[in-house]
This record gives sequence, C-alpha cells and structure tokens, in this order.
Amino acid sequence: MRKEIKIALPLSKIIYALFFIVIMSLICGISVSYEIGSKLEPAMAILAAAFCADTYVQEVTSRRSEIERLYPMKKRICSVGTRLLIQELFLLLLAAAGYGLFLLFQKPILLSVLPTGNGDEITQFFVCLAAVAVTLCFWGILSNTLACLFRSLWFGFGGCLLLWLITNSTFGDRHLGSWNIFSYTFRDAENSGDFSWLAGKGVCIVFCIAACAILPKLLKRRG
Amino acid sequence: MSIQINDLTVTFKNKVTAIDHANLEIPSGIFGLLGENGAGKTTLMRVLTTILAPTSGTVMLDGIQYHEKNYAKIQKRIGYLPQEIDLYPNLTVQECLEYLGDLAGIPKPLCKERIQYYLEKTSLTEHRRKKMRQLSGGMKRRVGLIQALLSEPAFLIIDEPTTGLDPEERIRIRNLLVDFSENRTVLFSTHVVEDLAATCNQLAVMKKGHFLYAGSVQELLDHADGCVWDCMVKDPAEARSLEQKYRVSSKQYAEGGIQMRILSRLKPKIPCRPAHVTLEDAYIYLTNE
Repeated sequence: MRKEIKIALPLSKIIYALFFIVIMSLICGISVSYEIGSKLEPAMAILAAAFCADTYVQEVTSRRSEIERLYPMKKRICSVGTRLLIQELFLLLLAAAGYGLFLLFQKPILLSVLPTGNGDEITQFFVCLAAVAVTLCFWGILSNTLACLFRSLWFGFGGCLLLWLITNSTFGDRHLGSWNIFSYTFRDAENSGDFSWLAGKGVCIVFCIAACAILPKLLKRRG
Repeated sequence: MSIQINDLTVTFKNKVTAIDHANLEIPSGIFGLLGENGAGKTTLMRVLTTILAPTSGTVMLDGIQYHEKNYAKIQKRIGYLPQEIDLYPNLTVQECLEYLGDLAGIPKPLCKERIQYYLEKTSLTEHRRKKMRQLSGGMKRRVGLIQALLSEPAFLIIDEPTTGLDPEERIRIRNLLVDFSENRTVLFSTHVVEDLAATCNQLAVMKKGHFLYAGSVQELLDHADGCVWDCMVKDPAEARSLEQKYRVSSKQYAEGGIQMRILSRLKPKIPCRPAHVTLEDAYIYLTNE
C-alpha cells in the first residue's frame, strides 16, 4: 500500500490539488452555506478527471506496461483499483478541507441564522461530502477509462472536460434534470428535503460499476 | 526450452511489414540477435513476449503454440527487459523491485531473497535505498534487468541490455547473463557486436524483416574468412578512393599512413594482407554481401 501511495500521489499532484482547492475557495463567491456544495462539486469533478487520468496510462507512457503484460491480470487490476482508491480518498479529504476553506474565506450565512426548513449545518456537510464522493468516483473512473481506451492521458482528461462542459451547464440542467450527473449542483438548495438529485448520483454509480467491470478487458486489449 | 518460429509475418496497420515470412529456431543458452535499426528485432521480441500478435505464421515455446488461450501459460515462463523502460521514479530500488515482484506474483520472502541476490550480482546493493530517479542510466538498466530475472523465467528476452553501460558494467551484465542462461534460453538483442562475441555461441542476423543468417558464431566468422583485408595507404585521397570501391569496416590514422580494413571477396588491387576476422567484420560483410 505504501508503494501504491508513492506511485499514485507524487508531490507534484498533491501540490497542484492543494493550490486548486485554495484558489477555488478564495475566488468562488457564495452568500449562504448551502451554496458550497454547488461550487465544490463541479470543481472537484474536474480536479478528479485531471488527477486520475494517468492512474494506469502512466504505465503505458513509461513502457512499464510491456513488462506488466506478463503479470497476472488479477494483480494488475488490483493495483489499478488500489491507486484509484488512494487518489479518490485523497480528493475526498481535500473536498472536506475545501468545504472548511469556503466557510473560512467566504464567511457565508450559516443555516442556523436562516428561517427553518434548511436543515442543519452538519447534516448538510455530510450530504455534500457523500454527493462529492460519488462525483469523484465517477470522474476519476471515467478519465482513467478513457485514458486506457485511447492510451493517452490527454484523451482521458479531454473527454471528461467535454462531458463536464455539457453537463455542468444550463443545457445539462434543462435537458437532463435530476438525471444529470451534476444533479446535486443544480438541486433546489433552499429545500433540504429535496433528494431528487439522488437519481443523477445513481447514474454515476451505475457507470462506475460498468467501467470497473470492463477494466480487465480494456487492459488486456489496450494495455 | 526451445522456441520455434515458422513463417512469421508481422504487418502493422500502416501496411509496414516488420517481419516477413521469417523462420528461426532458438535453442537453450544465450542466443544473440543482431541487426541494423528497423531490422525487426524489437518487433520479433514483442511477438515473443505476447505483446504483439503475429499477422500470420506460428510461434511455439516448448511445444506451446502462441495463441491467446495459451498466453497465460506462456507469460509465466517469460522475463522481459524492453529497450526503453522508466521504472517508478518515486520508489527506491528495493521498493521498485519488491513492487514488481509482488505484481508478478512471487511470494514475498522468496522475492526479497532474490532481490538481495541480484542486487549483489549487479553491484547495486549499496544503491538499494536510492530513488529510481536518482540513478544513472546504467544503474536503471541494471534494475530493469533484475526485474526481468526476478521470476527466474525459463525464457528471458532482453532488448539491448548493455545500452548506456560503461565497459565494467557491461562485462558484469554479460557474465550475469551467461550464468543465468544455464538450462534456460536467453534471447539477447544488441547493436554492440562485442557483447555477442563475448556471450553467445548462436546468433541470428536480421535485415529488413528477414533472417540473413542463423547459426553458430564460428560459422558466421568462417563465412567471412578470406574476405577481410588489412592495408595501409599513404594519403587521405587514396583512402577516399578505396572507400568508394570497397566496404571499409575500420579506418585509423597510424604512423606510416592510414590503416584500413577492407571487406571484399576478391583481394583488393593494392598491397594488403589477409586479416583475422572479428564478429563485427563478419556481420558487416554479411549485411553488405
């Protein structure tokens, strides 16, 4: 595990991710704390896409994949899975820290100050974190899958960026509604009892399961 | 352990044929593979490691045919060092080898034992705590070779293992390969003819996807015997004129003029004497015949 951490989380990646989240929390203006999730989710999505695109494809560019082809597929899948998990956990911790930074830098109006019906701050934090966890998994796995498919980090990230621009837009909100992968971003934030956004997260989970299932075939064919 | 290649052809999507109806038998021991850039050596090695599927023809490893359904069986018997490989820059030498050993499915205690043995053999023990990115090109190459040896494969395929190594390191690696080749097959591709002369009894010469020669080193030397001539010329103009007429394998300024080695089936029409044939002469003679 220690070796996987060293491979999956080089210092350069940690630094750019930290800078990204600090800058985001400084420049994205919010007035009420329930808006944090709407700002955090798309930002973490694009960060996950950039962060995870080289999870496996680094083996291809370094030509290590040529020797790894001789290794048992089970071990190779396990290694890619562990790396993804490490990166996703790091990003989730970063998202939690980012939530705190938004509160610190933007000093939004807290839910306790607002009239009733908006839930409490702690529940909102954990719900936001759960939604962001699914988002991170989706974008991380998507960029890794695309990168494996095209054997290029840039295709992995580029493909994600395109989907991000389409879904994180008025177009995405209008046409996909609660099935949008950014359903949490576009939820009715003022209504804490509205959980229709779970449909979009369900789509993300289904995609993640399917992508994990095709990964062995992908590594065999394209690895 | 023997490998049989029958009528092998590899054509890429861009219609370039890298290997063209090639036949070869690789016996036990160290087998050298020699050829110019683009001759098809690396493509052949990629086929033998199952990275690349042949367009047509058959390859057999100890009676097992190269076919997708047999790949798992074949892969277990192979160790491979590609021409270029960048091992994990953030891991130390020890960690990198342990990690690759674990991926290869070698039990941890056995893996550690082998790592220690091969680190000693390649004089890397004192560098085992260094990060891979801190190593010189030659050291990285040695680590690459250890990873190929870790699973103690029956068939070891190594693509230019001595590239970037200083003379002492090259000798060390060559000796390690000779020791390792006992009861095994080692396919050793290189541009450094000297390395093959020092390690192999058998070799094959490739050119443009074909095998020009496959057999013993001695037979290749015999093939060029009587076709290598040493001569001395006085001035550079005369040397240039000889270079236009004949294939010159070496040229050196000496006290009495310019010492030249000419490859020619017929005796050149200048004062010269037959020379002792080196493997390099024989290779150049063969590829320019």
